[in-house]
This record gives sequence, C-alpha cells and structure tokens, in this order.
Amino acid sequence: MALFTRNTKNTIVKIDEFFDNIDLGILVFREGIRSYISGDTGSFQMHLHKVDQLESNADKLQREVENEMITHSILPQHREDVTRLIEEMDEIIDGIKSSMYEFDIEIPEIPSVLKENLISLTEVSANAAEELIPAARAYFRAPHTVREKLVKVYYFESETDKIAFRIKKRIFHEMDDIDLARKAHLRYIIHHIEKISDLAQTAADMLSAMAIKTAI
Amino acid sequence: MILFFLTSGLFLGWSLGANDASNVFGSAVGSRMISFRKAAVVASLFVILGAVIQGAGTSGTLGKLGAVNALGGSFTVALAAAVTVYMMTKFSMPVSTTQAIVGAIIGWNLFTGNPTDTATLSTIVGTWISGPVLGAIFAILLYMLIVRIKRRLRIHMILFESYIKTGLLIAGAFASYSLGANNIANVMGVFVPAFRLDDLDLGIFTLSSAQQLFLLGGLAIAAGILTYSKKVMETVGSNIVNLTSEAALVVVLAQSLVLFIFSSSALSGFMVKLGLPPIPMVPVSSSQVIVGCVIGIGLYKGARNINFRLLGQIAIGWISTPLMAGLLSFFSLFFIKNIFNIDTGHKIISGAAEGTLNTGTEARPWNISEVMKYIILAAIITGIIAAVYYYLLERKRQRELRKSEEWFWKNIK
Repeated sequence: MALFTRNTKNTIVKIDEFFDNIDLGILVFREGIRSYISGDTGSFQMHLHKVDQLESNADKLQREVENEMITHSILPQHREDVTRLIEEMDEIIDGIKSSMYEFDIEIPEIPSVLKENLISLTEVSANAAEELIPAARAYFRAPHTVREKLVKVYYFESETDKIAFRIKKRIFHEMDDIDLARKAHLRYIIHHIEKISDLAQTAADMLSAMAIKTAI
Repeated sequence: MILFFLTSGLFLGWSLGANDASNVFGSAVGSRMISFRKAAVVASLFVILGAVIQGAGTSGTLGKLGAVNALGGSFTVALAAAVTVYMMTKFSMPVSTTQAIVGAIIGWNLFTGNPTDTATLSTIVGTWISGPVLGAIFAILLYMLIVRIKRRLRIHMILFESYIKTGLLIAGAFASYSLGANNIANVMGVFVPAFRLDDLDLGIFTLSSAQQLFLLGGLAIAAGILTYSKKVMETVGSNIVNLTSEAALVVVLAQSLVLFIFSSSALSGFMVKLGLPPIPMVPVSSSQVIVGCVIGIGLYKGARNINFRLLGQIAIGWISTPLMAGLLSFFSLFFIKNIFNIDTGHKIISGAAEGTLNTGTEARPWNISEVMKYIILAAIITGIIAAVYYYLLERKRQRELRKSEEWFWKNIK
C-alpha cells in the first residue's frame, strides 16, 4: 500500500509540474513576443530557447503521467479524460513554440503603428491560456469551481478575436503603404498569436464537460 | 453416499460465489480499480471467515422455517434451489438464492406435512423488503458523508481515488465477511439439522458440526468466486461502473452493513439490552440490497430516471422464485422418495424432534467425521499453498512491471 501511495503522489507531483511548465511557457511567450516587437533579438532568442526546453519537458512529463496512470491503474474512471486534458494543454505549449519559431524563421516586419496592437493581442491571447491553468488545477481538487474559473478563459478568447479582427481590418483597409504580400504575412502572424487563445478555448470546452461529468 | 448428498449444497454455494461476489467487488474490478486476482483472494478468504465465525444466526432462522431432517431431503431442497437459481439466471431474471431456498424449504414442509412457521416466514419476507430499503437509507447517509468530506477537505482527485481504492478493498473484505455470514445459511442451512459430525479440534480452535459444514460451504463459495466470478464481475461491474468511485464504495459499504446487521447475533442481543426489538437473523439477497443502495444514491442525486422495470422484476422475483423453487422441491422430493426410495424426511413430532433426526451418520459417526477432518485439513493446506503462490506471483508481476518501466525510460532517453 505504501508503494501504491508513493506512485499516486509521484503522479500528482508530475501533473503539477506539467501545469507549471505550461504556465511558464505562457509567460515566456508573452515576454518573447514583446521582445521581438520591441526589437530586442537577444532577449527573444533567450525566450525561444526557454520555450524549447519547457515544451520538451512538458512532453516528457505528459508521457510519464500517461504511462504511470496506466501501469499503476491510477484514476481508472477519469484516466481517459485526464489524458486528453493533458494532451490539449500540451497543444498550447506546442502552439507557443511553433508561433515563436515562426517569428524566428520568417522575421516578420512589424509596422510601428501596429506594435502596440500586437503587444495587446499577445497579452490578451496569453491571458486566455493563463486563466486555463487554475481551472485545470481546480479540476483535481474542487471540480465544482472549474466552470466559474473558465468564464475568464472565454472572455479573453472573445477579446482576442475582437482585437485580431480590428488589427486585420486596419491592415487591409487603412494601411495602403504596405504591399499585399506583407499584409498577408502580417495576417498570418496575427493568426499565430490568436491561435493560443483558440487552443485554450478548446481545452476549456473539454475541461468544462469533464467538470460536469465529475460533479454528476 | 453421505458426501454425495452435500454436492447439491456445494453446487448452490459455487453458484452463489460466482454470482454474488460481483455485488461486492463488481464495481471495483469492472472499473479496473482492483485487479480480479486481488479481489477474488480477499473475497474468498473473508467469505470463509464470515461463514465459519458468524453463519449460525441465519441458519437458525431457516431451521425454524423447516428443519429438514433427512439428508435425502436436504440434498433435494438444495438442488431445487440451485436449479431455480440456474434457470432464472439463464433467462436473465434477477434471482435471489435466499428466496429460492425459502421456497424449496416450504416445498419440503408441504411434502412432509410439516407446518410452515408463519411468524418466521413473515420475518423472512419482511427482510426482503426492508433489506433493500435499509440499503437505500445507508447508501444515502454514507454518500452524503463522503461527498461532504471530499468537498471540505479538497483532497486531490488522484489521492482521493487512491483512498477510495483502499476503502473498496477494506469494504469489500467486510462485505465478503458479511456475505459469508449471512448467505451461508442458503448453502448449508438445510444440511445442519440432518448432519451430525464430531467436533473438530484444530489445535488453535474447535469447529462444531455446523461450523464444519459452513467451512465446506464457504470453500464452495470461494471456489465459485475463484473459478467463475471474473466474467460476472466484469459484466455486472460494467453496469455499475457508471457510478462514481465514491458511489461504488458507498454501495459496497451500505450492502455490507445491511448483510452484517441481519446476521449479527451480538448486535441483535445489544438491541434487546437497549429494550428495542431484536434484529431478525435472516439471509437477505445481496443483489437486491445492492439495487436498493444504487436507487438510494440515485434518489439523493435527484435522478428522475429510476428503472421501475427493474424494481418490478425484483418484486416479481419475490413471488416467482420461491414459487418455482417450492414446486420444484415438492415434485423432486416425490421422485426421490418414490423412485429412488431415499428417505427425504418426515413429519416432526413436537418434543421429539431431536430424536427423529435421520442423519444416516449415527451408525458410523467416526467415519464421516474422520473424512470431514481430512477434507477440511486438505482444504486449509491448499488454501495456504494458494495464498503463498499468489503472493509470489504478485511479487513477480510487480518486479517485471518495474523492470519494463525502467527499460522504457532508459531507452526513451
């Protein structure tokens, strides 16, 4: 029985560590994009390297948690849900990594008039993902509080959509000084930043259903 | 020949083990919270303990309903009950061994011209209703308690589940003990008045004649659990698995409490001391109690989709099972007596009941007692060997699992 409790506690620690990784990844994303937009390449590269590490660590933890849950028959009734939740949350840090790599590879040129807009888009998109973490943690300790925590995720996701829509409209309707190819590139970059909140919303939808299932 | 007569009771015990163990560990095994092997070993051990230590109370009540006083009669009554259980199970109808044996005993009473004690009968029938109702009440109270504790302490879901897992194992052991104590009467109760054995001194403790029979019955139930309950547990378990893990624990706990209450002479005596009416020692159907528990939780949660069809089937079972077993017992006794010319029992003359017992063992009491002694010793030794083998097997499995995990992580890095 002692061995059994040790396995259980190990898994709890690993799940918490996994959430810490995602949380840190979101912070680094926010800071990394801000560094890029403000032209601090050194800081951006440092953040990119950090995200790389966090993503690989999250992947390792995800595999370990899934493996332990199966081999030690942990949480048999909710195993599938928890595994899917972890996968969905891993998608967020994967999305963060791929977004930052897009910036690194394609080196988009951000018009100075859009810099503030893009920073605020990044802020709100990251906020949506950030608000998901306490809700996901609450699922394990107080599932009845999950849904109230998820309200903020939905709010920030919808704000992200609005900001992204405004920026895109501005690019294509007001900025005649830049060519269409650059406009399309900017739209693509906006889509990458916006994607983080969409991924958070997908995970939130699942978490919400899981919370209802647990409460019944 | 005497031992042959016991086979119908042993068959009934085997089928009880195969069917009713799923009520105890079905949800845990079905949801893979506890491995079948662990569940089967725990259930078998505690069923035997319950039967031997506390089985006398409920057997006494069945004896009052009808003291079958010839081995041929006991054999036929147990066989009629076993066939009824088998047939009803085959046609997927909810069946209770208790109701089958009660019906079969009444069949014997009618055949031999013995009166059926209506007071005992009404007590037994009363518990068929009060058992599930009590199960529902216990389930609601326990569920409320567990849900409140969970909410207040905010225990991590994984840790809570591990406590539930341990709880299920402990509650399962208690439920198995109660099942053995309560239901052994169904298996061996009819043989107790017709079977006289010498006390068996095993050094540490002595087993009376009835206890030796209960031990044999307990072993038959254990054999049913070990050999045939896996499939039933996985099937029944997957029906109960929709319950949350805490609900599964509550169901097992509530069920074991009901079975324990109806088989504890000490508790009944305590009630009398308090000036309250005694609790009847009656074998109750674990399947029906579990249905009561599940409905109790459903009612607490405000479920509107209670399966009234299932309730209706159970109510029909209250009538159809004893009726079928009674008729089968009556006609089988007729055939056994008139075709095979075997004594199936006779009318008990008041005040001379003990003297009229035809056990068939009085002529050579040492003989059958000696045989029983060796059977029981062999069973105990086999049990110990099986337990050691299981322990070694578990250790080997754990070691292999650890090795494979280490190998996996070494290679993935």
